[in-house]
Amino acid sequence: MAFEAKSEAGYTIVSLDETRLDASISEPFRLYLFDQIDSGANQVVIDLGSVRFMDSSGLGVLVAALKKMAGKGALKLAAPQPAVSDLFNLTSMNKLFTISSTVAEAIEG
Amino acid sequence: MDILIVEDARDQRMMLAVVLKKQGHQVFEAADGQEALEVMAQHPTIRIVISDWMMPNMDGIALCESIRQSKIGGYVYFILLTGKSDRQAMVDGINSGADDFVNKPVDFAELNARLNAGIRIIELKSALENKIQTIEKDLESAAETQARLLAEPAKIQQVDFNWYFKPSRFLGGDMFGYHALDEQTLSFYQLDVAGHGVPSALFSFTLNNLLREGSSASLLKDTVSEPPFYRVKEPDEVLASLNDQFQARPDAMLYFTIAYGIINSRTGSVTMSQAGHPPPLWLSGRSRTIRKIAGGGVPLGMMPGMTYSNVTIDLQPGDRLFLYSDGVTECENSDGEMFGEARLESLLAETFDHSVADMIKRVEQSIIGWTGADVFIDDVTYLVLEWQP
Repeated sequence: MAFEAKSEAGYTIVSLDETRLDASISEPFRLYLFDQIDSGANQVVIDLGSVRFMDSSGLGVLVAALKKMAGKGALKLAAPQPAVSDLFNLTSMNKLFTISSTVAEAIEG
Repeated sequence: MDILIVEDARDQRMMLAVVLKKQGHQVFEAADGQEALEVMAQHPTIRIVISDWMMPNMDGIALCESIRQSKIGGYVYFILLTGKSDRQAMVDGINSGADDFVNKPVDFAELNARLNAGIRIIELKSALENKIQTIEKDLESAAETQARLLAEPAKIQQVDFNWYFKPSRFLGGDMFGYHALDEQTLSFYQLDVAGHGVPSALFSFTLNNLLREGSSASLLKDTVSEPPFYRVKEPDEVLASLNDQFQARPDAMLYFTIAYGIINSRTGSVTMSQAGHPPPLWLSGRSRTIRKIAGGGVPLGMMPGMTYSNVTIDLQPGDRLFLYSDGVTECENSDGEMFGEARLESLLAETFDHSVADMIKRVEQSIIGWTGADVFIDDVTYLVLEWQP
Protein backbone atom coordinates (compact mmCIF):
# COMPACT_ATOMS: atom_id res chain seq x y z
CA MET A 1 0.00 0.00 0.00
CA ALA A 2 1.62 3.17 -1.17
CA PHE A 3 0.48 6.32 0.60
CA GLU A 4 2.64 9.40 0.71
CA ALA A 5 2.45 12.82 2.30
CA LYS A 6 4.54 15.86 1.51
CA SER A 7 4.34 19.50 2.50
CA GLU A 8 3.91 22.15 -0.12
CA ALA A 9 2.94 25.80 0.29
CA GLY A 10 1.45 25.18 3.71
CA TYR A 11 -0.56 22.17 2.53
CA THR A 12 -0.13 18.52 3.31
CA ILE A 13 -0.46 16.75 -0.03
CA VAL A 14 -1.50 13.13 0.45
CA SER A 15 -1.22 10.90 -2.58
CA LEU A 16 -1.91 7.24 -3.00
CA ASP A 17 -0.26 5.11 -5.61
CA GLU A 18 -3.27 2.87 -6.16
CA THR A 19 -5.63 2.50 -9.11
CA ARG A 20 -8.54 1.34 -6.94
CA LEU A 21 -9.65 3.01 -3.75
CA ASP A 22 -11.97 0.27 -2.57
CA ALA A 23 -12.74 -1.93 0.43
CA SER A 24 -9.35 -3.66 0.19
CA ILE A 25 -7.36 -0.50 1.00
CA SER A 26 -9.90 1.89 2.46
CA GLU A 27 -9.19 0.93 6.07
CA PRO A 28 -5.37 1.35 5.86
CA PHE A 29 -5.91 4.57 3.94
CA ARG A 30 -8.29 5.84 6.62
CA LEU A 31 -5.71 5.09 9.33
CA TYR A 32 -3.04 6.87 7.30
CA LEU A 33 -5.21 9.96 6.82
CA PHE A 34 -6.22 9.99 10.50
CA ASP A 35 -2.53 9.80 11.46
CA GLN A 36 -1.83 12.83 9.30
CA ILE A 37 -4.69 14.74 10.89
CA ASP A 38 -3.69 13.65 14.40
CA SER A 39 -0.16 14.87 13.80
CA GLY A 40 -1.47 18.31 13.00
CA ALA A 41 -2.20 18.41 9.28
CA ASN A 42 -5.14 20.81 8.87
CA GLN A 43 -4.70 22.02 5.30
CA VAL A 44 -4.90 18.78 3.35
CA VAL A 45 -5.09 18.04 -0.35
CA ILE A 46 -5.74 14.44 -1.39
CA ASP A 47 -4.24 13.75 -4.80
CA LEU A 48 -6.51 11.19 -6.47
CA GLY A 49 -4.63 11.25 -9.75
CA SER A 50 -3.84 7.52 -9.80
CA VAL A 51 -7.27 6.31 -8.72
CA ARG A 52 -9.32 4.97 -11.60
CA PHE A 53 -12.07 3.39 -9.50
CA MET A 54 -13.51 4.28 -6.13
CA ASP A 55 -16.28 2.42 -4.34
CA SER A 56 -18.52 3.35 -1.43
CA SER A 57 -15.91 2.46 1.18
CA GLY A 58 -13.33 4.66 -0.57
CA LEU A 59 -15.79 7.52 -0.63
CA GLY A 60 -16.52 6.84 3.05
CA VAL A 61 -12.85 7.32 3.93
CA LEU A 62 -12.70 10.78 2.32
CA VAL A 63 -15.78 11.87 4.24
CA ALA A 64 -14.51 10.23 7.44
CA ALA A 65 -11.37 12.40 7.21
CA LEU A 66 -13.54 15.46 6.67
CA LYS A 67 -15.67 14.58 9.70
CA LYS A 68 -12.58 13.96 11.79
CA MET A 69 -11.24 17.42 10.99
CA ALA A 70 -14.56 18.71 12.30
CA GLY A 71 -14.47 22.02 10.50
CA LYS A 72 -10.95 22.91 11.66
CA GLY A 73 -8.92 23.50 8.54
CA ALA A 74 -9.57 22.41 4.98
CA LEU A 75 -9.66 19.13 3.10
CA LYS A 76 -9.54 19.38 -0.67
CA LEU A 77 -9.72 16.70 -3.34
CA ALA A 78 -7.62 16.97 -6.45
CA ALA A 79 -7.24 15.38 -9.88
CA PRO A 80 -10.17 12.93 -9.95
CA GLN A 81 -10.26 10.71 -13.02
CA PRO A 82 -13.53 10.40 -14.99
CA ALA A 83 -15.08 7.47 -13.07
CA VAL A 84 -14.22 9.12 -9.77
CA SER A 85 -15.67 12.42 -10.99
CA ASP A 86 -18.86 10.59 -11.93
CA LEU A 87 -19.07 9.19 -8.42
CA PHE A 88 -18.48 12.66 -6.93
CA ASN A 89 -21.26 14.07 -9.13
CA LEU A 90 -23.68 11.29 -8.24
CA THR A 91 -23.07 11.84 -4.54
CA SER A 92 -22.89 15.66 -4.70
CA MET A 93 -19.45 15.69 -3.13
CA ASN A 94 -18.98 19.30 -4.28
CA LYS A 95 -21.31 20.20 -1.41
CA LEU A 96 -18.77 18.82 1.07
CA PHE A 97 -15.39 19.33 -0.61
CA THR A 98 -13.53 21.71 -2.82
CA ILE A 99 -12.68 19.56 -5.81
CA SER A 100 -9.92 20.74 -8.14
CA SER A 101 -8.72 19.30 -11.40
CA THR A 102 -5.05 19.50 -10.37
CA VAL A 103 -3.09 19.61 -7.13
CA ALA A 104 -1.61 22.99 -8.11
CA GLU A 105 -5.09 24.39 -8.55
CA ALA A 106 -6.13 23.02 -5.15
CA ILE A 107 -3.20 24.83 -3.52
CA GLU A 108 -3.86 28.11 -5.29
CA GLY A 109 -7.64 28.05 -4.85
CA MET B 1 -4.46 -39.94 14.09
CA ASP B 2 -4.65 -41.54 10.66
CA ILE B 3 -1.18 -41.62 9.14
CA LEU B 4 -0.01 -42.73 5.72
CA ILE B 5 3.56 -43.98 5.24
CA VAL B 6 4.89 -43.74 1.71
CA GLU B 7 8.15 -45.58 1.23
CA ASP B 8 9.34 -47.91 -1.53
CA ALA B 9 11.72 -49.88 0.72
CA ARG B 10 9.41 -52.46 2.21
CA ASP B 11 11.44 -53.18 5.35
CA GLN B 12 11.72 -49.51 6.30
CA ARG B 13 8.04 -48.94 5.64
CA MET B 14 7.04 -51.84 7.86
CA MET B 15 9.34 -50.77 10.62
CA LEU B 16 7.85 -47.28 10.63
CA ALA B 17 4.37 -48.76 10.57
CA VAL B 18 5.03 -50.98 13.56
CA VAL B 19 6.41 -48.10 15.61
CA LEU B 20 3.52 -45.77 14.79
CA LYS B 21 0.89 -48.43 15.40
CA LYS B 22 2.38 -49.04 18.81
CA GLN B 23 1.74 -45.38 19.60
CA GLY B 24 -1.91 -45.88 18.83
CA HIS B 25 -2.08 -44.41 15.34
CA GLN B 26 -4.10 -45.88 12.53
CA VAL B 27 -1.45 -46.55 9.88
CA PHE B 28 -1.81 -46.93 6.11
CA GLU B 29 0.98 -47.84 3.70
CA ALA B 30 1.90 -47.10 0.11
CA ALA B 31 4.99 -47.97 -1.94
CA ASP B 32 5.07 -44.80 -4.08
CA GLY B 33 3.32 -41.48 -4.69
CA GLN B 34 0.84 -42.89 -7.12
CA GLU B 35 -0.31 -45.58 -4.71
CA ALA B 36 -0.39 -42.98 -1.91
CA LEU B 37 -2.95 -40.89 -3.81
CA GLU B 38 -5.13 -43.98 -4.30
CA VAL B 39 -4.97 -44.84 -0.60
CA MET B 40 -5.83 -41.27 0.33
CA ALA B 41 -8.79 -41.25 -2.00
CA GLN B 42 -10.13 -44.34 -0.22
CA HIS B 43 -9.32 -43.04 3.25
CA PRO B 44 -10.11 -39.36 3.44
CA THR B 45 -9.49 -39.44 7.21
CA ILE B 46 -5.71 -39.52 6.63
CA ARG B 47 -4.33 -36.31 8.09
CA ILE B 48 -0.58 -36.96 8.17
CA VAL B 49 1.61 -38.24 5.36
CA ILE B 50 5.19 -39.36 6.03
CA SER B 51 6.80 -39.79 2.66
CA ASP B 52 10.18 -40.77 1.32
CA TRP B 53 11.61 -38.47 -1.31
CA MET B 54 13.07 -40.81 -3.97
CA MET B 55 10.53 -43.36 -5.17
CA PRO B 56 9.57 -44.92 -8.50
CA ASN B 57 6.45 -43.70 -10.40
CA MET B 58 5.86 -40.59 -8.31
CA ASP B 59 8.42 -39.17 -5.89
CA GLY B 60 7.73 -37.46 -2.57
CA ILE B 61 7.84 -33.93 -3.89
CA ALA B 62 5.46 -34.66 -6.76
CA LEU B 63 3.16 -36.37 -4.26
CA CYS B 64 3.22 -33.33 -1.99
CA GLU B 65 2.44 -31.01 -4.89
CA SER B 66 -0.44 -33.11 -6.04
CA ILE B 67 -1.92 -33.29 -2.51
CA ARG B 68 -1.68 -29.49 -2.24
CA GLN B 69 -3.41 -29.05 -5.58
CA SER B 70 -6.14 -31.60 -4.89
CA LYS B 71 -9.38 -30.78 -3.16
CA ILE B 72 -8.88 -33.07 -0.21
CA GLY B 73 -11.15 -31.85 2.56
CA GLY B 74 -9.15 -30.74 5.59
CA TYR B 75 -5.44 -30.05 5.83
CA VAL B 76 -2.91 -32.84 5.28
CA TYR B 77 0.30 -32.47 7.25
CA PHE B 78 3.19 -33.58 5.09
CA ILE B 79 6.51 -34.85 6.47
CA LEU B 80 9.26 -35.58 3.97
CA LEU B 81 12.04 -38.09 4.68
CA THR B 82 15.39 -36.86 3.34
CA GLY B 83 19.05 -37.79 3.43
CA LYS B 84 21.06 -35.89 6.01
CA SER B 85 23.09 -33.83 3.54
CA ASP B 86 20.24 -33.18 1.18
CA ARG B 87 19.67 -29.46 1.66
CA GLN B 88 18.32 -28.94 -1.84
CA ALA B 89 15.66 -31.59 -1.25
CA MET B 90 14.58 -29.67 1.83
CA VAL B 91 14.27 -26.39 -0.11
CA ASP B 92 12.38 -28.11 -2.94
CA GLY B 93 10.19 -29.81 -0.36
CA ILE B 94 9.24 -26.57 1.38
CA ASN B 95 8.55 -24.94 -1.96
CA SER B 96 6.22 -27.74 -2.96
CA GLY B 97 4.28 -27.53 0.29
CA ALA B 98 5.91 -29.95 2.75
CA ASP B 99 5.44 -29.03 6.40
CA ASP B 100 8.38 -30.77 8.00
CA PHE B 101 11.39 -33.05 7.45
CA VAL B 102 12.91 -36.04 9.11
CA ASN B 103 16.39 -37.20 8.26
CA LYS B 104 17.07 -40.76 7.25
CA PRO B 105 17.87 -43.04 8.94
CA VAL B 106 14.88 -42.16 11.05
CA ASP B 107 15.41 -41.33 14.69
CA PHE B 108 12.14 -42.41 16.27
CA ALA B 109 12.27 -39.97 19.16
CA GLU B 110 12.65 -37.13 16.67
CA LEU B 111 9.92 -38.48 14.43
CA ASN B 112 7.63 -38.69 17.41
CA ALA B 113 8.35 -35.09 18.41
CA ARG B 114 7.69 -33.88 14.89
CA LEU B 115 4.50 -35.92 14.66
CA ASN B 116 3.28 -34.29 17.86
CA ALA B 117 3.99 -30.87 16.37
CA GLY B 118 1.95 -31.87 13.32
CA ILE B 119 -0.92 -33.14 15.44
CA ARG B 120 -1.00 -29.83 17.33
CA ILE B 121 -1.34 -27.94 14.06
CA ILE B 122 -4.04 -30.25 12.76
CA GLU B 123 -6.01 -29.90 15.98
CA LEU B 124 -5.69 -26.10 15.97
CA LYS B 125 -6.83 -26.04 12.41
CA SER B 126 -9.86 -28.18 13.05
CA ALA B 127 -10.82 -26.09 16.10
CA LEU B 128 -10.59 -23.02 13.88
CA GLU B 129 -12.69 -24.67 11.20
CA ASN B 130 -15.35 -25.52 13.77
CA LYS B 131 -15.48 -21.93 14.92
CA ILE B 132 -15.72 -20.66 11.38
CA GLN B 133 -18.51 -23.12 10.73
CA THR B 134 -20.43 -21.77 13.71
CA ILE B 135 -19.99 -18.21 12.47
CA GLU B 136 -21.04 -19.15 8.96
CA LYS B 137 -24.13 -20.89 10.30
CA ASP B 138 -25.03 -17.75 12.21
CA LEU B 139 -24.51 -15.66 9.10
CA GLU B 140 -26.65 -18.02 7.07
CA SER B 141 -29.49 -17.83 9.53
CA ALA B 142 -29.14 -14.04 9.61
CA ALA B 143 -29.35 -14.07 5.82
CA GLU B 144 -32.53 -16.14 6.04
CA THR B 145 -33.95 -13.61 8.47
CA GLN B 146 -32.99 -10.86 6.08
CA ALA B 147 -34.69 -12.67 3.21
CA ARG B 148 -37.86 -12.99 5.29
CA LEU B 149 -37.84 -9.23 5.89
CA LEU B 150 -38.03 -8.54 2.18
CA ALA B 151 -41.41 -7.49 0.89
CA GLU B 152 -43.12 -10.11 -1.29
CA PRO B 153 -43.74 -9.13 -4.91
CA ALA B 154 -47.21 -7.58 -4.78
CA LYS B 155 -49.82 -5.52 -6.49
CA ILE B 156 -50.88 -2.67 -4.22
CA GLN B 157 -53.52 -0.22 -5.46
CA GLN B 158 -52.82 -0.61 -9.20
CA VAL B 159 -49.09 -0.65 -8.72
CA ASP B 160 -47.16 -3.84 -9.37
CA PHE B 161 -43.95 -4.27 -7.42
CA ASN B 162 -41.34 -6.89 -8.17
CA TRP B 163 -37.62 -7.18 -7.54
CA TYR B 164 -34.35 -9.06 -7.65
CA PHE B 165 -32.08 -9.27 -4.62
CA LYS B 166 -28.79 -11.08 -4.31
CA PRO B 167 -26.53 -10.26 -1.36
CA SER B 168 -22.82 -10.48 -2.11
CA ARG B 169 -22.17 -13.28 0.40
CA PHE B 170 -24.55 -14.31 3.17
CA LEU B 171 -25.51 -10.78 4.17
CA GLY B 172 -26.04 -7.61 2.25
CA GLY B 173 -26.38 -3.94 2.95
CA ASP B 174 -28.99 -3.45 0.24
CA MET B 175 -32.64 -3.13 1.18
CA PHE B 176 -35.88 -2.11 -0.49
CA GLY B 177 -39.56 -1.92 0.27
CA TYR B 178 -42.98 -0.57 -0.67
CA HIS B 179 -45.99 0.17 1.49
CA ALA B 180 -49.32 1.94 1.32
CA LEU B 181 -49.29 5.20 3.27
CA ASP B 182 -53.03 5.72 2.72
CA GLU B 183 -55.66 4.60 0.23
CA GLN B 184 -54.00 6.38 -2.67
CA THR B 185 -50.40 6.98 -1.71
CA LEU B 186 -47.64 4.37 -1.71
CA SER B 187 -44.07 4.81 -0.65
CA PHE B 188 -41.21 2.82 -2.17
CA TYR B 189 -37.47 2.86 -1.73
CA GLN B 190 -34.24 1.13 -2.47
CA LEU B 191 -31.20 1.76 -0.34
CA ASP B 192 -27.60 0.62 -0.19
CA VAL B 193 -25.58 0.77 3.03
CA ALA B 194 -21.86 1.22 2.30
CA GLY B 195 -19.83 -1.92 2.89
CA HIS B 196 -21.03 -5.49 3.38
CA GLY B 197 -21.42 -8.00 6.14
CA VAL B 198 -22.90 -7.83 9.58
CA PRO B 199 -22.65 -4.08 10.38
CA SER B 200 -24.13 -3.05 7.03
CA ALA B 201 -26.87 -5.68 7.22
CA LEU B 202 -27.88 -4.75 10.77
CA PHE B 203 -28.08 -1.12 9.75
CA SER B 204 -30.17 -1.96 6.68
CA PHE B 205 -32.55 -3.99 8.94
CA THR B 206 -32.97 -0.94 11.16
CA LEU B 207 -33.65 1.35 8.23
CA ASN B 208 -36.11 -1.09 6.75
CA ASN B 209 -38.06 -1.22 10.00
CA LEU B 210 -38.16 2.55 10.17
CA LEU B 211 -39.32 2.99 6.61
CA ARG B 212 -42.16 0.53 7.11
CA GLU B 213 -45.37 2.38 7.52
CA GLY B 214 -46.78 1.97 10.99
CA SER B 215 -43.54 1.73 12.87
CA SER B 216 -42.50 5.09 11.57
CA ALA B 217 -45.60 7.24 11.29
CA SER B 218 -43.65 10.30 12.31
CA LEU B 219 -40.90 9.71 9.78
CA LEU B 220 -43.24 9.42 6.81
CA LYS B 221 -46.24 11.42 7.98
CA ASP B 222 -46.98 14.59 9.92
CA THR B 223 -49.96 14.98 12.21
CA VAL B 224 -52.13 17.95 11.35
CA SER B 225 -55.14 19.44 13.10
CA GLU B 226 -57.55 19.09 10.19
CA PRO B 227 -58.94 16.00 8.46
CA PRO B 228 -57.55 13.62 7.51
CA PHE B 229 -55.28 14.64 10.43
CA TYR B 230 -52.09 13.65 8.71
CA ARG B 231 -49.91 14.83 5.89
CA VAL B 232 -47.71 12.53 3.84
CA LYS B 233 -44.24 13.96 4.03
CA GLU B 234 -42.47 14.88 0.83
CA PRO B 235 -39.54 12.57 -0.05
CA ASP B 236 -36.95 15.31 0.47
CA GLU B 237 -38.20 15.84 4.03
CA VAL B 238 -37.95 12.13 4.75
CA LEU B 239 -34.35 12.02 3.51
CA ALA B 240 -33.32 15.13 5.44
CA SER B 241 -34.69 13.71 8.67
CA LEU B 242 -33.10 10.28 8.09
CA ASN B 243 -29.83 12.08 7.43
CA ASP B 244 -29.93 13.94 10.71
CA GLN B 245 -30.99 10.84 12.61
CA PHE B 246 -28.20 8.57 11.34
CA GLN B 247 -24.94 10.46 11.30
CA ALA B 248 -22.01 8.10 10.89
CA ARG B 249 -18.94 8.25 13.11
CA PRO B 250 -15.63 9.00 11.35
CA ASP B 251 -14.15 5.67 12.43
CA ALA B 252 -17.15 3.64 11.23
CA MET B 253 -18.62 5.25 8.17
CA LEU B 254 -21.98 3.50 8.02
CA TYR B 255 -23.70 5.74 5.53
CA PHE B 256 -26.17 4.85 2.80
CA THR B 257 -27.48 5.93 -0.55
CA ILE B 258 -31.19 5.80 -1.24
CA ALA B 259 -33.84 6.52 -3.82
CA TYR B 260 -37.14 7.18 -2.03
CA GLY B 261 -40.42 7.96 -3.72
CA ILE B 262 -44.14 8.24 -3.26
CA ILE B 263 -46.66 7.44 -5.96
CA ASN B 264 -50.26 8.50 -6.20
CA SER B 265 -51.87 5.29 -7.36
CA ARG B 266 -54.87 7.13 -8.88
CA THR B 267 -53.03 9.71 -10.94
CA GLY B 268 -49.65 8.04 -11.53
CA SER B 269 -47.85 11.08 -10.18
CA VAL B 270 -44.52 10.13 -8.65
CA THR B 271 -42.29 12.28 -6.47
CA MET B 272 -38.79 11.05 -5.79
CA SER B 273 -35.83 12.22 -3.83
CA GLN B 274 -32.36 10.73 -3.94
CA ALA B 275 -29.22 10.73 -1.88
CA GLY B 276 -26.27 9.66 -3.96
CA HIS B 277 -28.10 6.65 -5.40
CA PRO B 278 -27.84 5.55 -9.05
CA PRO B 279 -30.64 7.49 -10.80
CA PRO B 280 -33.78 5.36 -11.19
CA LEU B 281 -34.84 4.70 -14.76
CA TRP B 282 -38.28 5.65 -16.07
CA LEU B 283 -39.38 3.24 -18.76
CA SER B 284 -42.25 4.49 -20.90
CA GLY B 285 -43.84 1.66 -22.81
CA ARG B 286 -45.82 3.90 -25.15
CA SER B 287 -43.02 6.14 -26.30
CA ARG B 288 -40.44 3.38 -25.83
CA THR B 289 -38.13 5.73 -24.06
CA ILE B 290 -35.89 5.33 -21.05
CA ARG B 291 -35.17 8.41 -18.98
CA LYS B 292 -32.96 8.84 -15.95
CA ILE B 293 -34.63 10.50 -13.03
CA ALA B 294 -31.96 13.03 -12.20
CA GLY B 295 -30.92 12.90 -8.58
CA GLY B 296 -27.63 13.56 -6.88
CA GLY B 297 -27.70 14.44 -3.22
CA VAL B 298 -25.16 13.67 -0.53
CA PRO B 299 -25.52 10.10 0.78
CA LEU B 300 -27.33 9.89 4.12
CA GLY B 301 -25.23 9.86 7.27
CA MET B 302 -22.24 11.69 5.83
CA MET B 303 -22.84 15.22 7.00
CA PRO B 304 -25.61 16.76 9.09
CA GLY B 305 -27.83 19.55 7.80
CA MET B 306 -27.96 18.43 4.17
CA THR B 307 -30.97 19.24 2.03
CA TYR B 308 -32.42 17.12 -0.74
CA SER B 309 -34.55 17.87 -3.75
CA ASN B 310 -37.71 16.37 -5.20
CA VAL B 311 -38.38 15.40 -8.78
CA THR B 312 -41.99 14.86 -9.83
CA ILE B 313 -42.96 12.91 -12.93
CA ASP B 314 -46.32 11.76 -14.30
CA LEU B 315 -46.46 8.12 -15.24
CA GLN B 316 -48.60 6.95 -18.15
CA PRO B 317 -50.49 3.69 -17.72
CA GLY B 318 -48.03 0.82 -18.17
CA ASP B 319 -44.98 2.94 -17.35
CA ARG B 320 -42.33 1.40 -15.16
CA LEU B 321 -39.68 2.61 -12.75
CA PHE B 322 -36.45 0.67 -12.35
CA LEU B 323 -34.55 1.36 -9.11
CA TYR B 324 -31.19 -0.31 -8.66
CA SER B 325 -28.05 -0.42 -6.56
CA ASP B 326 -24.58 0.20 -7.99
CA GLY B 327 -23.87 -3.54 -7.67
CA VAL B 328 -25.83 -3.93 -10.93
CA THR B 329 -23.74 -1.57 -13.05
CA GLU B 330 -20.43 -2.12 -11.29
CA CYS B 331 -20.28 -5.89 -11.63
CA GLU B 332 -17.26 -6.82 -13.70
CA ASN B 333 -16.56 -9.39 -16.39
CA SER B 334 -13.37 -11.45 -16.46
CA ASP B 335 -11.47 -8.54 -18.06
CA GLY B 336 -12.44 -6.19 -15.25
CA GLU B 337 -14.87 -4.26 -17.44
CA MET B 338 -17.99 -3.03 -15.68
CA PHE B 339 -21.50 -3.86 -16.82
CA GLY B 340 -22.25 -0.14 -16.93
CA GLU B 341 -25.32 2.04 -17.31
CA ALA B 342 -25.33 2.02 -21.11
CA ARG B 343 -25.51 -1.76 -21.23
CA LEU B 344 -28.26 -1.81 -18.62
CA GLU B 345 -30.31 0.74 -20.54
CA SER B 346 -29.99 -1.00 -23.88
CA LEU B 347 -30.95 -4.26 -22.21
CA LEU B 348 -34.02 -2.66 -20.65
CA ALA B 349 -34.93 -1.13 -24.02
CA GLU B 350 -35.52 -4.68 -25.27
CA THR B 351 -37.97 -5.48 -22.49
CA PHE B 352 -40.87 -3.12 -23.23
CA ASP B 353 -42.97 -6.02 -24.53
CA HIS B 354 -42.05 -8.32 -21.67
CA SER B 355 -43.82 -8.74 -18.38
CA VAL B 356 -42.14 -7.28 -15.31
CA ALA B 357 -41.25 -10.81 -14.16
CA ASP B 358 -39.62 -11.56 -17.53
CA MET B 359 -37.75 -8.32 -17.49
CA ILE B 360 -36.36 -9.11 -14.04
CA LYS B 361 -35.25 -12.52 -15.22
CA ARG B 362 -33.58 -11.12 -18.34
CA VAL B 363 -31.58 -8.59 -16.37
CA GLU B 364 -30.51 -11.31 -13.95
CA GLN B 365 -29.42 -13.61 -16.78
CA SER B 366 -27.56 -10.81 -18.44
CA ILE B 367 -25.62 -9.93 -15.30
CA ILE B 368 -24.81 -13.56 -14.59
CA GLY B 369 -23.69 -13.93 -18.21
CA TRP B 370 -21.52 -10.84 -17.81
CA THR B 371 -19.79 -11.85 -14.59
CA GLY B 372 -19.68 -15.55 -15.47
CA ALA B 373 -20.77 -16.40 -11.93
CA ASP B 374 -23.84 -16.11 -9.80
CA VAL B 375 -21.91 -14.97 -6.75
CA PHE B 376 -21.40 -11.22 -6.97
CA ILE B 377 -18.77 -9.04 -5.34
CA ASP B 378 -21.32 -6.43 -4.33
CA ASP B 379 -25.00 -6.78 -3.48
CA VAL B 380 -27.11 -6.76 -6.61
CA THR B 381 -30.60 -5.36 -6.15
CA TYR B 382 -33.25 -3.89 -8.38
CA LEU B 383 -36.81 -2.93 -7.69
CA VAL B 384 -39.33 -2.54 -10.48
CA LEU B 385 -42.75 -0.95 -10.23
CA GLU B 386 -45.38 -0.73 -12.93
CA TRP B 387 -48.41 1.55 -12.82
CA GLN B 388 -51.45 -0.25 -14.25
CA PRO B 389 -54.59 1.82 -13.51
